[in-house]
Amino acid sequence: MYQYIIRRILVFIPMLLALSIIVFGLAKAAPGDPLSGKIVDPNIDLAVYEQQREALGLNKSIPVQYFNWASSVARGDFGESIAYKGRSVQSLITERIVNTLYLGLVALGITLVVAIPIGIYSARNPYSPLDYGATTFGFFGLATPNFFFGLVAIYLLSINLGWFPAQGTTSSTGLSGFAEFKDRIHHMVLPGLTLGLAGTATYMRYMRSEVLDVLGSDYIRTAKAKGMSDRNVLYKHTLRNAMIPIITLMGFEFGALLSGAIITEQVFNFPGLGTLFLSSITNHDYPVIMAIALLLGVAILIGNLLADIFYSIVDPRIRYD
Amino acid sequence: MFKRYKPSIVLLALLLILGLVLSACAKDKVEGVKKDDPATEGKKDGEKKAANDGPTDGGTITGAMYSAPAGMFNPIFYDDSYEANILDFTHEGLFTQNDKLEFVANLAKDWKLNDDQTELTLHLEEGVKWHDGAEFTAKDVVFTYKSIADPDYVAAGGVRSNYVEPLLGFEAYNKGKTKDFEGVVADGDYTVIFKFEEPSVTPLYTASFTIIPEHIFKDIAIKDIPSTPESLEGGKVIGTGPFKFTDMIEREQYVLERNVDYWKGAPHLDKIVWKVIAQSVMTGLLEKGELDFVASPGGIHPADFDMVNEYKNIEIIEQPDFGYQILGFKHNHRTTADVEAGVIEPANWVPNKKLSNPVVRQAIAYAVNREGLVGEGHGKGLLHGHGQPINSPVATQFWAYDDKAAINYTYDPDKAGEMLDEAGYVDKNADGFREDPDGNEWILNMDYPTGNELREKSAPIIQEQLEEVGIKVNLRQPKEMSAYVPGLTDDNTDWDLYLIGWTLGSTDPDPSGLWAAKAGYNFSRWNNPKSGELLQKAVKAPEAFEQNFRADVYGEWQHLFSEDLPALLLYAQNSIWAYNDRIEGIIALPHTMYQDSHTWWVNDAK
Amino acid sequence: MQTSQNNTIQIESIDQPDRKHRSPLQLSVHRFLKNKLALVGIIVLFVIILGAIFAPYLTDHDPRKSNLMLVEQGPSSDNILGTDASGRDNFARLLYGARVSLTVGFSAMLFTLSIGLVLGALAGYYGGKIDNFIMRLTDLVLALPFLVLALTIIALLGKVTIGIFVTVIAITSWPTLTRIVRGSFLSLREQEFVLGARAIGASDFRIIFRHFIPNAIGPIIVNATLMMATMIIIESALSFIGFGIPQPTPTWGNMISEAQSIRILRYHPEAWIPPGVGILVTVLAINFIGDGLRDAFDPKSDRR
Repeated sequence: MYQYIIRRILVFIPMLLALSIIVFGLAKAAPGDPLSGKIVDPNIDLAVYEQQREALGLNKSIPVQYFNWASSVARGDFGESIAYKGRSVQSLITERIVNTLYLGLVALGITLVVAIPIGIYSARNPYSPLDYGATTFGFFGLATPNFFFGLVAIYLLSINLGWFPAQGTTSSTGLSGFAEFKDRIHHMVLPGLTLGLAGTATYMRYMRSEVLDVLGSDYIRTAKAKGMSDRNVLYKHTLRNAMIPIITLMGFEFGALLSGAIITEQVFNFPGLGTLFLSSITNHDYPVIMAIALLLGVAILIGNLLADIFYSIVDPRIRYD
Repeated sequence: MFKRYKPSIVLLALLLILGLVLSACAKDKVEGVKKDDPATEGKKDGEKKAANDGPTDGGTITGAMYSAPAGMFNPIFYDDSYEANILDFTHEGLFTQNDKLEFVANLAKDWKLNDDQTELTLHLEEGVKWHDGAEFTAKDVVFTYKSIADPDYVAAGGVRSNYVEPLLGFEAYNKGKTKDFEGVVADGDYTVIFKFEEPSVTPLYTASFTIIPEHIFKDIAIKDIPSTPESLEGGKVIGTGPFKFTDMIEREQYVLERNVDYWKGAPHLDKIVWKVIAQSVMTGLLEKGELDFVASPGGIHPADFDMVNEYKNIEIIEQPDFGYQILGFKHNHRTTADVEAGVIEPANWVPNKKLSNPVVRQAIAYAVNREGLVGEGHGKGLLHGHGQPINSPVATQFWAYDDKAAINYTYDPDKAGEMLDEAGYVDKNADGFREDPDGNEWILNMDYPTGNELREKSAPIIQEQLEEVGIKVNLRQPKEMSAYVPGLTDDNTDWDLYLIGWTLGSTDPDPSGLWAAKAGYNFSRWNNPKSGELLQKAVKAPEAFEQNFRADVYGEWQHLFSEDLPALLLYAQNSIWAYNDRIEGIIALPHTMYQDSHTWWVNDAK
Repeated sequence: MQTSQNNTIQIESIDQPDRKHRSPLQLSVHRFLKNKLALVGIIVLFVIILGAIFAPYLTDHDPRKSNLMLVEQGPSSDNILGTDASGRDNFARLLYGARVSLTVGFSAMLFTLSIGLVLGALAGYYGGKIDNFIMRLTDLVLALPFLVLALTIIALLGKVTIGIFVTVIAITSWPTLTRIVRGSFLSLREQEFVLGARAIGASDFRIIFRHFIPNAIGPIIVNATLMMATMIIIESALSFIGFGIPQPTPTWGNMISEAQSIRILRYHPEAWIPPGVGILVTVLAINFIGDGLRDAFDPKSDRR
């Protein structure tokens, strides 16, 4: 098992290397650089930018630039942002990732709290009105583009009803303690719902079919035949087994959740990693682009690995070696 | 997966949800109609609380910007206008500008120019304190200019070299040949002397740069200044302005608190809070009073004007902006060799035959419906009437602006057609588009950048209008600015028509930075010897010390510009600023409304 | 964005005993036709396709033609959904926008499908080093956040046409389908009839086309269908954030992106809700069809 994990982690290295080369090559092959977009103020002499290019090494060949970048990353230094003057890439990312992680957690929280109970209920009471409702919701959840859902949510819940703020993460700098927490959650509801929508639909469908599967299996029938109560059957056997694929799915979907945040954050003008990534792409701020791409790559790889490990722990039939 | 459901029930549910969404929409539309009730116009002034009670202290106001500042709050290194929104309140220069855009005393109490305008002697205000209590002196001024002239300044990310280049000894100091900068010297604590390499036509402009505190930055190497907390963090940024930058939630909120020791008198307001708010929700917050003011950059979207104008609590300031949009004509292209060598040498340029006949450019000018783009009133034109077609590349607010000198190309497609016919551009093969006089295919490539919503929208419309008079336009895909500019500057390509917008400085009207043949920003590669002569004449000492002389020369130049057309000026958008009428004391100057914010007060302060 | 969710359900090949003397395909068609939701999906999709094809007959307006005298107008008898910020007719843009969405969805699906089929077949049929290489490649692309890759490529190209757009989507989303094809092929490799065909000297090409593809067609079609729905959402999402097909080409995504202004969002719902509902209904219809196909090809999924 440990050997397996170590081997998997070793595979990360060439993959991340390949990933970084691809993204770096793409970002660099594009016409323009972080400075070219700034050339719109006629009061500033163009020669200034040429000097800065020289100083930043932007005139060197792409392989040389890649090597410079990679060797400083190997030393743990992701460099400085060019669009955000004077800011290290690390500081930019730590500042934003907190917001994105909160958002991801809220979305995941909403997803699980809604999807699992409804999924279980649907499976135990198939073809009941609620089950039909859940199914309908499932269809809609998967078919609605989340940016459209976000706009409808702003339109109905924020503009018309005024229940939730439509953007930002907090309403004032002056809050602290529980008031601040409440305020932040309040701001997180709409983006969280939007980001969690597709997930909720997916998990609900999974949960329903998994519970149905387990309920129909031989060992449950045996347990029931032995006189075990419905409650006990549900909690001791059914849920335990039905949760396995759900948790695995969570591992695999982790990366999708993070990149889904790119669109959601855009709708809500949310200061997270996604909006940073989009603005960095527009500015050709390649140190930031690279760092975020690597970060998301690592997140996906680790998510997949955790899912695999978890799977092998709960299901002894699966063995990795 | 859902096979056993009765489809009819699922469908019914689907329809139900759809219906709910749609009916919710319909409901709002009714409200929307109600809002249009035009009975609110007169109330504004009546509702205003008695202004003659005099200013009261206290209160917090909230301003909105649409995009977060990049985060550089050091005047010598900042470069975006959102950062300027903070710095306008926290830092000051020796001069400011008044409503006629003349330089007036600020940190400089008075000044004297020698006769040939090579030396400017300034006396500073005494008793001015930095936010941390240290005293403001001539040393700070010297330090600021020395920093900008420093050999490492540009490499560290600074772009303001134009403030030090005309100063005496800049070359030597900047190349590291000497440790002493002769250009700006202190004489005691309260006298500073600016010395110029050559007689200066714009000495006050050069001396107007925002001052930074020497005692904070003196021990930090120039290249490290951008990454010090004193340049980046709320609470650590020190200026002399009426407000202190005390706190921030990066990308969301920036808090300014009153500087009780402000040398012009303590500000009335306790706090000014800047929030980063998408333009999409801004109007709603303005109406609810959760937001007190919105100004440059961005302001109110022209299409929102009527809506905001109906809010009872909101005052609007509308005036011409310092920017304009152009449809540029590539007169020449640089050669590949020149582009690679980074040389701008008009003698080597290759004329762009497709546009080299001035009559063709004039015909295009007649064919573009600029009045239509601007429109008149809501629902007409891209600007909904909030702007004007302009004919001269000098900002209308300047003394140098002369619209009578320039030719006004009013929309006249028939005339455009006739001109093209006469010039020999006629449709010989009956494909609906004109060929050039030799009968060859004549297609003009047109490029445009993204980033400015209205400019993006104007591109396909201009294409349509040109095609209506038979000019075939190949409108290419828009590119984001950072990918667009290389194509524009390295013009060894097949570019003919291009769109770009300029925001001019409010300090001096000299257009040579954009239109002189050798200027980097002369993307049209316009090379007209007469223009070069005039532009030089307008800044030549000593005649040019007289503003009227300059105005005459610029008038002549503006006529030449509109005749030879390196670019068709499309329109200048109005800036539309709005503020809640609980704020008193806001003065709208042509270039800003943030000046003298220490006199602002709110009429509902507790 | 629901990039890969749930669209990759794997189905085993069909080797059920033939009870009613019907071929498996006939059985599938029969089962599919009994599925009313799927039929509704087909009808709805058909209507949308007709609307897109016959758009010129349904409106007199040119979706690219602006009218500067009628900017951001509400609904009227001439412009039944009003006009956009350049004075173009929203209804015309809605109809023509369907063309873009459907074209992008369909061609991106076809493109992805062909990459997936070829690579999946190579990997699944030959195994060994080829398999290893292709699987590492899928790992790599799957480890790349889809949006990051797509956005970087689009930024690199600096211009987006439908063709480029489709290519970008295809080269970033082929791994899922490749894995499915490979999986089916791997399980078929050791089947007796394949071994038999090999023994009588059938060529690889023939074995793949006569035996493998027909037997693996079920999951391939199902996943391709569901993938088309995902592609349509991706197209609209990228257009929405400004990385899609630019104006003046009408797309549902760039129509909705105008609602980023509250003026449009609040006072002109007729401008942004129809394209949103358009995407929703199209995707819903395709998903119904996909689910119907799944049930039709895999009778075992009944129990779910």
